Amino acid sequence: MDSSRALHSVARKTKIVGSALVGPALILVVAINVLPAFYGFYLSLRQVFFFADEGYVGLQNYVELFRDPFAWQAIGRSLVFTFGSLAIAVPLALVSAMGIRRLGNWGSILLTVLLVPWAMSPIVVALLWKWILVPSPGGLVGAIFAAFGVPPQDLLTDPLLAMPTLILIGVWRNFAFAAIILTGGLGQIPRDLYKAAAVDGLGAWEAFRKITLPLLAPSLLIVISMLTISYFNEVQTIIGLTGGGPIRQTTTLGYLLYHTGFVELDQGRGNAIAIVMFMINMLLIALYIKILGKQPGAAA
Amino acid sequence: MKTGTRIWLVLGCLLAALVALGPIVWAFSTSLKPTNRIFQVPPELIPSVSTLDHYARLISEGVHWAFLNSGLYAVMAVLVALTLGTVAGYSLARYPIPGKQLVLVLFVGAMAVPGFAVLLPTQLLFVNMGLYNTYIALPLLYAGHILPFAVWVTRSHFNTIPRELEQAAQIDGYSRFEAVWKVVLPGAKPALLAAATFGFLHSWNDYVTATTMVDTPGLRTLPVALIFFQGFHGRDWGALMAGVIIATIPPVVMFLLFRKYLIGGFADGSVKG
Repeated sequence: MDSSRALHSVARKTKIVGSALVGPALILVVAINVLPAFYGFYLSLRQVFFFADEGYVGLQNYVELFRDPFAWQAIGRSLVFTFGSLAIAVPLALVSAMGIRRLGNWGSILLTVLLVPWAMSPIVVALLWKWILVPSPGGLVGAIFAAFGVPPQDLLTDPLLAMPTLILIGVWRNFAFAAIILTGGLGQIPRDLYKAAAVDGLGAWEAFRKITLPLLAPSLLIVISMLTISYFNEVQTIIGLTGGGPIRQTTTLGYLLYHTGFVELDQGRGNAIAIVMFMINMLLIALYIKILGKQPGAAA
Repeated sequence: MKTGTRIWLVLGCLLAALVALGPIVWAFSTSLKPTNRIFQVPPELIPSVSTLDHYARLISEGVHWAFLNSGLYAVMAVLVALTLGTVAGYSLARYPIPGKQLVLVLFVGAMAVPGFAVLLPTQLLFVNMGLYNTYIALPLLYAGHILPFAVWVTRSHFNTIPRELEQAAQIDGYSRFEAVWKVVLPGAKPALLAAATFGFLHSWNDYVTATTMVDTPGLRTLPVALIFFQGFHGRDWGALMAGVIIATIPPVVMFLLFRKYLIGGFADGSVKG
């Protein structure tokens, strides 16, 4: 009787000690990451302007947002930016990862070099590329254009070219991060499978389609999800490079949130945009899990 | 490998390296050119005349204080996140905790919340609590951003270490704390360095949190100071590229030193989940 009570009190004590050790980290994470998310939802239902809360307005912020054609355009531009970047970054990362695996030690050196842009600050990347793209034959891209006999173009203020330019800079900045995870994923595919495929007379393309791609599905799911979150929420390079222009051509939902919330200080509506962004993020991730999670490799 | 494939592979690698590093080398070259030679046609990659004037101008404008602020904030954030994160990661790996699944979900969920989406409510909270525009605003926020990752990598690490290791040390007369400190923690170095590198990069490289949480010039970080510098000096490309270079050196050095741990940490975190 006594010993079971003593055991019980020891178990309780370890529970208390354990909770006390997690406590401080949990409090900080809840205070910094979780609580503001709920507070943001609360604010999205209120009229908040210039730091002053003017009361509950229900779904008015959302209704106004969805009535605004600019908001729909911003959603469209976010999707163009996100999927345009993914369409270039993922295949590029896959090809690089396959090259890197073949190269052994040289491959890991190459990967390190490719990751240097990823280690830089996005706003610093924006300043850097503003200078690279400066429309003058004395600039780097200007000189390359001049070598081909093309006069210097201001890519960042051209309504047709600004978005593709932003996409390419985004790919430059972080496709190598995707390559790391894919390199790891490729390393987990058993080599014997390829030998067996070669014995069966499968060509390189068929081996890629029937072995590499399905077995890489879990890594691809991670890569595509992470890149989607990072591109969909990208705002720093857009602030630095185009400020949403020219004529709103690069005003993505993220930039619209920045402008509405922090520049116009319409904080109620800004929070409604944040909630919409969050929902679209979740929707895209759920879609990926549905498509890629079904692959046979996902079970492994 | 066939010779043809090999040549293509080498060419591809060289092109990739050129595209990755070319712009940075060009920025460095620009930062060393006297202003009247920056727009020279055709451009020179290796400046025939070089100067440190642009770096001196940044210092005379006080940008070096922003550099120190950035460093201070990043180091404070990393220290807080690593301390709290290691303790929490250890506890989650070893102790029975009521509602453990929920706690884990909260940490993982916090990793998935993009920091930018909660910036607006955070700004309002900080204004109301008097934390806006203070020295602790940014270290506190960065620590909160880094913490989930720190908890996650340390927890996965402690999970792989057998309990017997610290129990043996305790039988030898160590207290539990000493056993963890002297026997378990040294083995956790890769996990800790991964979290520290990730945390430093996140804090040092941030612009949007810093520009919305701090308003006083004396509290500014380097990225914010560079944007203000650009605003006042228009297209002073020499000084701006000097700024790009000094802003890039700390994270890139940190990344090069600890890349193995960082890449390992990301791979572990994503594969083991």
